[in-house]
Amino acid sequence: MNRRLSLALVGLAVLVGVLFFAFARGFGRDPHEVPFMLKGKPAPDFALTRLDTGEPVTLAQLRGEPVVLNFWASWCGPCKLEHPTLSRAARRHQGDARFYGVVFEDTPENARAFAQPMDPSFPQLVDPHSRMAVDYGVTGVPETYFIDAQGVIREKYVGPLLDEAELTRRLRALSGPRASGAGQ
Amino acid sequence: MRGTVGYAFVLGALLAAVFGAVVGIEGGLRRRAGTRAWVERATSAFFLCMLGANLTMVWALVAHDFSVHYVSQVGSRATPLVYTVVSLWSALEGSILFWGVILGVYLFAFMRAQASRPDRAVQLAQGAMLAAATFFAFLIAGPANPFGAVVPVPPDGPGPNPLLQNHILMVIHPPMLYSGYVGMTVPFGIAVAALLDGRLGEAWLTTLRRWTLLAWTFLTVGIILGSWWAYAVLGWGGYWAWDPVENASFLPWLTATAFLHSTMVQERRRILKLWTLSLALGSFALTVLGTFMTRSGIFNSVHSFTQSDIGPTFLVFLAVVVGVSIVLLAVRGPALAPEDALPGVASRETAILVNNLLFAALTFTVLLGTVFPLLREAFSGVRVSVGAPYFNRMAVPLGIAILFLMGVGPSLPWGRADRGVWRRQFLLPAGVGAAVLVACLAAGLRGAGPLTIFALAGFVGTVTLRELLVPAWARMREKGERPWTSFLRSTARARRRTGGYLVHLAMILVFVAIAASSAYVEHTTGTLGAGDSLQLGAYTVRFLGLKEGTEPHRRWIAARVEVTTRAGARRTLEPRMNFYERSTDPVGSPAVASTAFEDLYLTLLAFGQDARGDTASFNVWTFPLVGWIWWSIPLFVLGALVAAWPQRRGLPALGQERAADPARGTA
Repeated sequence: MNRRLSLALVGLAVLVGVLFFAFARGFGRDPHEVPFMLKGKPAPDFALTRLDTGEPVTLAQLRGEPVVLNFWASWCGPCKLEHPTLSRAARRHQGDARFYGVVFEDTPENARAFAQPMDPSFPQLVDPHSRMAVDYGVTGVPETYFIDAQGVIREKYVGPLLDEAELTRRLRALSGPRASGAGQ
Repeated sequence: MRGTVGYAFVLGALLAAVFGAVVGIEGGLRRRAGTRAWVERATSAFFLCMLGANLTMVWALVAHDFSVHYVSQVGSRATPLVYTVVSLWSALEGSILFWGVILGVYLFAFMRAQASRPDRAVQLAQGAMLAAATFFAFLIAGPANPFGAVVPVPPDGPGPNPLLQNHILMVIHPPMLYSGYVGMTVPFGIAVAALLDGRLGEAWLTTLRRWTLLAWTFLTVGIILGSWWAYAVLGWGGYWAWDPVENASFLPWLTATAFLHSTMVQERRRILKLWTLSLALGSFALTVLGTFMTRSGIFNSVHSFTQSDIGPTFLVFLAVVVGVSIVLLAVRGPALAPEDALPGVASRETAILVNNLLFAALTFTVLLGTVFPLLREAFSGVRVSVGAPYFNRMAVPLGIAILFLMGVGPSLPWGRADRGVWRRQFLLPAGVGAAVLVACLAAGLRGAGPLTIFALAGFVGTVTLRELLVPAWARMREKGERPWTSFLRSTARARRRTGGYLVHLAMILVFVAIAASSAYVEHTTGTLGAGDSLQLGAYTVRFLGLKEGTEPHRRWIAARVEVTTRAGARRTLEPRMNFYERSTDPVGSPAVASTAFEDLYLTLLAFGQDARGDTASFNVWTFPLVGWIWWSIPLFVLGALVAAWPQRRGLPALGQERAADPARGTA
């Protein structure tokens, strides 16, 4: 009995040791991090309408210019925070890149009520039933996609973009060679 | 100011816990006279300080004192009062603070309950519990201090996590679960004391069982409420996802359930002593593991709190708990030798032993599935996830085997069964089980899994009702009492037995509900314009239009839906999407139309407008019998209360024929 007991306990201790090793290795990484599969892949095409004029916009017609797509919603506080940064950047980089906002899970009225007082310097698109958001793998708002002139997704930024220098750096990378596209 | 007051309370609690742990264990081991009074003072001080700290935090939350770190994280002037108070346990630091006060209540209650027992084991147990309390007080005072000062003081805060202010169940589910978790500290202390003392007598075993039963009951209710919350709030149409944190609550439940059974064998035969103690120690270690999983930030789960650096501290504590347990079992274990041997194969003892093995296997299976992604990543760097299919494939057969044993065990006598037992005890229940199977087949139900469970439920239900009612019936015939009187009297004479069988009945309900709701679920999705309808089973779902609303802490959009059953009954449902400022995703609120036998479950997936007006996309499910899972709660609680209710002295309780001192061994 005594021997069996010690054997069982030693076995248990070894198992627990292995488990603890695995736990200790797990610290410092983010289990919520979702790998972004579309990075370096051609951006899925979309055909949406503008929130203000109702004019159709497709990705194909934007080919040849870098595109920045920002998904937002009127109910999203962080979106409100980042909007001025994007708005300024869109104005400053006119000609280098086209900026579009995409309204995520929202009604057009609410989106208009949100966008008008903000005076965005770039057009907003309506995405009925979030079809485009699903194609692009949007996990929440705000999220910002950087697409190069060849229509390839270089990276995506999750969360509010509050630092204009950061945004500028990512825009520069868009016109550089593909390998230099920094991770999200 | 409130921050300083609160922190002073936390420091007081830490001091009391350290002092009480040292005096309790050292004084107990050396049998120093007069030390127990000091341990009791330390326990009271710990309790009062924790209570003070928690009340201070609630005060700061209600007063919107954003100079307190925790309030600035979870408080918001827009949050309704009830959710402001509840936000005490809605984030990491607050939940550990709340843990502290529950621990204080348990320690205080244990002290009061054992006040008249002059046993040194009591003091050792209190010392061990205060040692655990020391860790939590240290955590609150250091790595997870909620009372830190915020400078400059912000004018408002973000409010609690939206998922946690979406449903009233959030008010009671966490306290229940925490009471279950924290409650396992008491059996841990008792088991450590038994090992340090080198004795596990009848009376101490009773104490151990009672406190485990208390924690087990809270844990059971907490788990079921949690599944109900997931069902009512998360909107993915399920109640259990084998999420790491769900598993974390399930693991100690499994070992505690195994404990409650093995303790009966120990009482009868005085064997399995070490095993029983290991289960008590293991249940506590698994609750600490569960807490670690929720709070370390290394598991991916809906429940996990934000990334935090208290993980390593928790891991050290877990290592100490497991290490101390193993060393104590190794060093003191041989003192608790078995005094008897297992009787024949066909005996209740053997059935319970097999039940314990199955519970252990299930614990291991769930634990392995939960930690496998971490193991894999630690050793090969590959990130994998273990999904529901693994758990279902492994757990369902084990669950079915356990259900089967729930019928076999109670039918077998203690000791050795004679040959006639099969005919006498099994013929009728097996017949009922077969009849249930035939009835289900005749009703058109198919599927090996659910039909096995329904047939077994018939078998086990018959056994359980027989065990509950036969004593009453015998008494009725013998004494000429009315049925109800004789039932109550026979129950009063064997409370643990009656309570246990009531819990078995509740468990059968849960088994049947899980089998039916997962095997016979129906699901459809559709996008509807205003006035359109879709059909699912006996229901017609017609979309009427969208509706918007604003509350202080959120905005929402609801789809108005008219549900018509085949019988013609109409109901309006409003599945919603809620929008919280701080959230990056809308939070859905499903709408459920419940009947006794089926739930219609509707979620709003997306909405929009087209030329004809509003449109909305829905997920629609029907879940047969799903409500039985939560409706089993009163039966679980009733059974546990009946089993744990103090027996008047002098009435012989079950299993006391062998007790050395009947007056002490009451359950």
